[in-house]
Amino acid sequence: MPTAGSGGGGGRAGGCLIVGQANAGKTLFLINFADHMGVKDLDLDVTWPDGSRERFRYPVARARELLVDDRPHTTRGLQAVELQLPRGKGCKAFRLCDTGGLTDGVHGAADVRAAQAQALRALRHAELVLHVMDAAAAGSRDAAGAIGEVDRQVAAFASLRCPYAVLANKMDLPRAQAGLMKIAREFPSRRVIPVSALDGRGFREVKAFVWDHL
Amino acid sequence: MDKAWRPKGPNAPDSIEEVIGWLETGKVSPAEAFRLFADVEQARSPGAAAPPAGAAATGRAGAPTAQELRRVLEEIHGLIGLDRIKELIQELQAFVEVQRRRQAAGLTAEPVVLHMVFRGNPGTGKTTVARSLGRLFKEMGVLEKGHLVEVERADLVGEYIGHTAQKTREQIRRALGGILFVDEAYSLARGGEKDFGKEAIDVLVKAMEDHRANLVVILAGYRDEMEWFLRQNPGLRSRFPIHLDFPDYAVEELVRIAEHMATRRDYRLTDEARLELARLLRRPEAAGAAGCGNARLVRNIVERAIRRQAVRLVRENRHRREDLMRITAADLEGALAQAGVPGEAGTPPGFRSDSGFDLLRQVTAFMATEMGNNRRAAGNGLPA
Repeated sequence: MPTAGSGGGGGRAGGCLIVGQANAGKTLFLINFADHMGVKDLDLDVTWPDGSRERFRYPVARARELLVDDRPHTTRGLQAVELQLPRGKGCKAFRLCDTGGLTDGVHGAADVRAAQAQALRALRHAELVLHVMDAAAAGSRDAAGAIGEVDRQVAAFASLRCPYAVLANKMDLPRAQAGLMKIAREFPSRRVIPVSALDGRGFREVKAFVWDHL
Repeated sequence: MDKAWRPKGPNAPDSIEEVIGWLETGKVSPAEAFRLFADVEQARSPGAAAPPAGAAATGRAGAPTAQELRRVLEEIHGLIGLDRIKELIQELQAFVEVQRRRQAAGLTAEPVVLHMVFRGNPGTGKTTVARSLGRLFKEMGVLEKGHLVEVERADLVGEYIGHTAQKTREQIRRALGGILFVDEAYSLARGGEKDFGKEAIDVLVKAMEDHRANLVVILAGYRDEMEWFLRQNPGLRSRFPIHLDFPDYAVEELVRIAEHMATRRDYRLTDEARLELARLLRRPEAAGAAGCGNARLVRNIVERAIRRQAVRLVRENRHRREDLMRITAADLEGALAQAGVPGEAGTPPGFRSDSGFDLLRQVTAFMATEMGNNRRAAGNGLPA
């Protein structure tokens, strides 16, 4: 049974980093993308904001149950998996790392802020950034905050440092198409890939982007 | 929202780490933090970018770098316990600085070789210290980036001929400018001569020579296993001039660590909770587990107590701020068992004999101890 092997820790620099606002679908993307790559057991290498590390192994379905939640800020550390990206006769190993959700304002909980600080530190050393945004929320009438100031700042910061793409997520939901247009207008010079972390659409394009740039 | 607040002049942040600190303490939002990153970088950019490897820690970028250096040192000294390690870090800092001054004065300077071996149980602070050292060496201009790349056998050793060298070189490439931290390094020698682990060691040793100016390698693991590992590879010992032992934390230190962890999350341990925690940690089962967990065990206990406190507050329907912050002794009940330490709820310490007489003697001794404890607790004004 293929597994996602875990790598080293932490604030550990490099690799492919998933960032974005809380509830944009980052963790579901991590799990289902690993699933898409043939991983059955997810070896998660979790680094908590205090620098300590833990490893967990879950079957993919169990990982979804435990790590994905409708409530924001479920992810409170860096959680990474090592994946093998095959193409033709070649294969690239890379580390895909999920981060705590960012917010436009100051969050009241100290451990959420610590996770955000950890995400910003990791962002400084990332080799490739996948910025997840909620396209369905961006396309809804009440879209305030769906594309936040923090998203603009992430785009400005990350795109100058390493390969960077926006993943317009939740394309399986109504209004996501309108949201995708809005995101593309907001970030005209950035690569925007429409995806659904839920049903896997767009994963092929993400794989090609990672292959070409990592 | 946040275009309003952006400190300038003397209140402007000196470094990106300072901005991240502000984010952690709630002084700025993530969006503001990114803007301040840009400000910091702009302030450093006109010829005053981060000093290259080997540059002095003062000069055009001197003020912010010196401040950052002070901050890193303060952080290291703020770590609980680890006294011997703090002393050694001070020695290292002084040594590097003096070698630099000697070089500037045209005197023979000793080569600064900073590869290290860390020996100690898990949870004794090895990774934390390594991370702080990375930042320290960066601020001192010894390393360009100062980041930490943490790897273990699986990250270095491949499955077929040539794979190991490729994997190890890849990790070294990622660590250039910083620290390569090889956790459980002894496992590289566990397969003997024919194992690919040997190849990983050879590649590592070569990289330490090739990149001596811009890479620090730290080998870490249990004390005995690391001794065995160095005996198996006699050439390694001389290449790692710095050997640090990380002792297990004392119970008092573990309690202070627990308090620190709780405070960071806006919780407070009551006096009874502190006493209860110390009592739990002194139990033989915990002492055995602390060797395998140490600060990590304490974190598990604190997290468990936070969950139990939540259940208690919901049950008691309490909403006052102090109640929400307070962790009591009752919240620690069953904490060891939940933290994966067997035997807490079972027999008290010492109850291991099968002999009836021994058992009776131990029961008596145990009761006497407990009564003494209760009297002492009552004497301290605490519930017995």
